[in-house]
Amino acid sequence: MALDISKVTRAVNALGESAATYAKELNDRLALARATFNAIAADPAELTRIADEVSRKFRWAGAIPTRETINGAFPLPQRPARFNVIAADGSQIYPDRHGIALYYLINVGSIVFRHGLSDAPSTASLPEVFFEDEDLYYEEENSLITTEMINANRDVRELGELARLTKIEAASAPTTALLDNSLLLYISLREQNPKFSREVIEKYLAHLDVLRSSGAVVAGVVDRPRSANLIRLLNLSTLGPDEITQENLHGVGKQFKHVTDSTLFHVLKPGERSALFVLASPANIEKYEPRGHKTYFFFLNTGRPSKNAILRIEVPEWVATDSEKLNLVHAAIVEQCKASGGFPYVLMRAHELAVVTAPERRAFDEMVTGSLIRNRVPASLSQKQQGKAWTGSGRRRYR
Amino acid sequence: MIKHIGRSQRSSTTGFVFGCSVPEPEVPLFGSFVKAPIQKQQAEAIGLIYNIVVEDDQFVRPMISAGDQMPDDEFEAYLQDQRQNRNVPIEVSVLTVGYRNGAGFIHSLPPQPPMLLDKIHYCAEDEIRSFTERFDYLGLILEAPDVPADELIAVSLLKAAEVQPNRTRFLQTAGRELAKMMTRDLARLEKLLRRIKP
Repeated sequence: MALDISKVTRAVNALGESAATYAKELNDRLALARATFNAIAADPAELTRIADEVSRKFRWAGAIPTRETINGAFPLPQRPARFNVIAADGSQIYPDRHGIALYYLINVGSIVFRHGLSDAPSTASLPEVFFEDEDLYYEEENSLITTEMINANRDVRELGELARLTKIEAASAPTTALLDNSLLLYISLREQNPKFSREVIEKYLAHLDVLRSSGAVVAGVVDRPRSANLIRLLNLSTLGPDEITQENLHGVGKQFKHVTDSTLFHVLKPGERSALFVLASPANIEKYEPRGHKTYFFFLNTGRPSKNAILRIEVPEWVATDSEKLNLVHAAIVEQCKASGGFPYVLMRAHELAVVTAPERRAFDEMVTGSLIRNRVPASLSQKQQGKAWTGSGRRRYR
Repeated sequence: MIKHIGRSQRSSTTGFVFGCSVPEPEVPLFGSFVKAPIQKQQAEAIGLIYNIVVEDDQFVRPMISAGDQMPDDEFEAYLQDQRQNRNVPIEVSVLTVGYRNGAGFIHSLPPQPPMLLDKIHYCAEDEIRSFTERFDYLGLILEAPDVPADELIAVSLLKAAEVQPNRTRFLQTAGRELAKMMTRDLARLEKLLRRIKP
């Protein structure tokens, strides 16, 4: 046995005590956050002006109120008798330096669900394998592509698949396209390779252009959101003019530590959404706003009377400022959640269609091995990987 | 190349279990003849599917109550997606009834079971015809514990009969062989013969 339980007993007891203290303190901070939220709702104009200014002067991941009452609850709109909901999701196999060959794979699953028709939805999985030098290495540094770059490529392909399907489906009925993620691609902020970042974000924005011109709506859906953009707004509301500094804007402030946005919306009834807010991310202001795709967000209760399910929904400006489109995305997501317990059915299915399971991975490796052998290339795992394969299964080889 | 229907997940010389994920119309059928490689692909175990279990699927759980609360016409598309598009996780149990090596088909237990993750295929019609030229394998079914032996014999014989040049003669011969094997249990034999009556 690798873990000696007797040696961690004291630590586990302390952990329990600490958790109890933490829960009480968090409750106190949550009460303060809710009170502050309701207080600023009475007269948000000045705070809105300051938030907008701060978002352009500082690197601040906050939220900017819109014309909607910030603590308002907006009822579930009527849904059309016939509408489409499309979802795409991706998964990947990262390159493995110890594997039999150097490659990576992106698989995008998609589903088109036609509400108002009884037909089975259309589903697809589109795998792509990348193995050429230009796919695997940085242009400038000749370094192996990072997992973050692969994730960005995957996100671009997910949105590209949504754009492709939407162009086909939007003519038949009002259409909502859903992503299982934030609508913002954060690669431009974190990635070290600026050329890659520019190219990838340009592709992403081009897909958003296609979605906008199709007449459909698009939304990013975040389950169990841990974001604190609104809490940062609450923190901003407590700062005097001289206290607005990059350092003070960085976090949420001690008084709101660990409080998240979604906890402010426990009052939403099933089907209701919160007000819209502008996401004050630097990427949003610098990259998305100039192209007309500035990201807004709201919270939506997709649960049922006895069990709330609060999702964070992100939409581009051209959806947020068009009440018909906003109502469609609101109604479509709630409708989609009815059959699957609080999260859109199509996103669960798109994930299922995208995910590369362990047996599929093994089967793919077998195919790669066969191809290498046919082409007289030695195909073997590194010694390290072979060792892992032998010892890592947890299965006894002999009884 | 004929696509495999699953991969073995546990096995012994008397039988094996394979897992597969397929849309509902392609779920394997009780009584079908299947084969699995053994002895480093030098031979094949031949078996009959005798149990099919649809595994627990957490995805479907919330849909059970949702299906009761939604109008049927609204729920229909979800239902069709589950039935036509989704790969249902299935565990299939197989009773080994023989094997094939360089000498042909042998109606006794194979020297080795299939290994983990080996591909399982349906037997082709000519393989079923060759395997059922004799009926010694029926004894393995009759002696197998925890297997619905009579139903398995009846269904597999009827399936095998479909690929024979003379269905009636095949079933009559099978009936005679069963009569030799089941002389001590005439009531059971009678029921079985009634099931496979040409």
